[in-house]
Amino acid sequence: MKFNDLLLGLLVLLGGVAIYVSALGFTDIPGQSYGAGTMPRAIAIFSGCLGLFMMGRAILEGARMPRLELAAWVRSRRSVLSALVALALIVFYIAAAPAIGFVPTSLVVMAALMLTLRTKPLTAIAVSILACIVIQQAFGRLLLVPLPRSEFLTFLW
Amino acid sequence: MPILSEAFGLVFQPYVLLVILASAAFGMFVGAIPGLTATMATALLVPVTFFMDPVPAIAAIVTATAMAIFAGDIPGSLLRMPGTPASAAYVEDAYRMTRSGRSEEALGASLVFSAIGGIFGTIVLITASPVLADIALRFSSFEYFWLVVLGLSCAIFVSPGSVPRGMISLIIGLFAATIGIDNPAGQPRYTFGNVELLAGVQFIPAMIGLFAVSEVLRSVVAGADTPAVEKGGQKGIFSHQWDNIRRYPFQALRGSVVGTAIGALPGAGADIAAWISYAISKKFSKQKEKFGTGHVEGIVEAGASNNGAVSGAWIPALVFGIPGDSITAIVIGVLYIKGLNPGPTIFINEPQLIYAVFIVFFLANLIMLPMGWAAIKTARTILSIPARILMPIILMFCIVGSFAINNSPFGIILMLVFGIIGFLMEENDIPIAPAILGLVLGPMLEQNFVTSMIKADGSFLAFFERPIAAGLGLFTIAIWSIPLVMAALRRGRRARPADA
Repeated sequence: MKFNDLLLGLLVLLGGVAIYVSALGFTDIPGQSYGAGTMPRAIAIFSGCLGLFMMGRAILEGARMPRLELAAWVRSRRSVLSALVALALIVFYIAAAPAIGFVPTSLVVMAALMLTLRTKPLTAIAVSILACIVIQQAFGRLLLVPLPRSEFLTFLW
Repeated sequence: MPILSEAFGLVFQPYVLLVILASAAFGMFVGAIPGLTATMATALLVPVTFFMDPVPAIAAIVTATAMAIFAGDIPGSLLRMPGTPASAAYVEDAYRMTRSGRSEEALGASLVFSAIGGIFGTIVLITASPVLADIALRFSSFEYFWLVVLGLSCAIFVSPGSVPRGMISLIIGLFAATIGIDNPAGQPRYTFGNVELLAGVQFIPAMIGLFAVSEVLRSVVAGADTPAVEKGGQKGIFSHQWDNIRRYPFQALRGSVVGTAIGALPGAGADIAAWISYAISKKFSKQKEKFGTGHVEGIVEAGASNNGAVSGAWIPALVFGIPGDSITAIVIGVLYIKGLNPGPTIFINEPQLIYAVFIVFFLANLIMLPMGWAAIKTARTILSIPARILMPIILMFCIVGSFAINNSPFGIILMLVFGIIGFLMEENDIPIAPAILGLVLGPMLEQNFVTSMIKADGSFLAFFERPIAAGLGLFTIAIWSIPLVMAALRRGRRARPADA
């Protein structure tokens, strides 16, 4: 999804306006004219000027590029699906790991993504098991990161 | 002298040496995989360094970076795919040398001249840093304000793509840096009631998201294909290099000098250094026509340059606390996590640590020769790991790394958000480096700006009253105004014939 300068400039301008409005509610250091709102206001002004500049230049140049250009991968159902699966697997890890533990969750995440990317099932499962054990041993055991534990796999720790 | 021996004691311990060896292997591996950058190697290393003392932590990053920058040349030579952006400048020459059966000469040249450039940059780092630190001790908030603005400006102007898109990236980074309670008035900003956001955007998950997760997503949508490795001679990696040193001594020196200088410039890194050095090499070469056809001269100069830049980037990072590139931006984050404040006072408070860093730089560049030799020998095996297997494993490392920083799933959420942002940014040709610098330097910019404004009672003229501040200010203004004046002049010249 590629935006041209006109559309991108408009987004930057709107972003600047939003930051400026939100910064109006921030307080100053007592007795000073500067405080929590100073930096966001400066960013908002910078953003607004940049947005106007980009839009102005795009209008002057006739904004030759289409306003919204879809990248080649967006037209491929397989690519879109793979990207969605990758994102969904991260969300799955966040939701499931505390409940069922690191080992089964990470195994599912890696194996599912490998299978989505057309790895042979046996290879995907074997590599995922190996990688999962290496990561768990390196982070969980060696570096003592409290990775979520599974009750039936406590011997790994 | 006691400081130096203490520094040697800190480095020459079995644990630190083991860390250096392991990081060298890791850097080689990451650098040799096309699409995985030296910055990504550093970002993935940070969660591990979190559990180390400062010296092994820094040693791990220094070694992995130096190795990854060199190793990026391996897929460049064998696949015509630069492993890191820093290898992109001379990939055509390296690949054509491989196709004509000279891969050993191409890879040997990049290995040997990378080590030469890296050692040269280290010598400059050792000699220049203490002198600059002495000057920096006299800096006030006005000088630091301009230095930060200068660094951010350089990041925009030297980043690939258009300047406005570089500015968008900077705005994203600066805005992310405003989130949290750490601001002059101590008021929560943009936290939306989330307690975890009160501490601000955690740097490491954001970094892993922007660099690593976005790369995984890019690979996934591209189908995670693995290209075929080009065959070429693999014998005699070092044997040709005496001839190259005798033939191109000036080019090696010039590449090292230019690379170190560009690396020392805040915001500019090894990739820009390599491109500029390759262009200089071509411009002053007696055999210009051979560039791009499998000629080693450009590899000699740009190879020395990109590793010189790795050392050079540490000069502003250590002296002023301002990163020279995105890797030193991560390093500054690591130093803060370790309770060390990068800047001139580190030379007074922790001199043994600084000397230890210098020793590590020498070791990293020396170890590069045997490790590089081994990497070249095993390159075909590394490069044959399919992306469809590698990317899911990298994603898992990203998840665990983001979690390990605070042992909280919130780190993974941040990683995911920044991963999507990074992916969309690159889709729209928005460079990532300015966002990283904005995120790192945002708090410093805000603190020095507000402090200066309070000291100056709101007068902008005070920013030009001290000589160094005035010099830095004028230089920064020149960086912004010269391109505008040049563009106006070009437009005027174009309009004149049309009027006539």
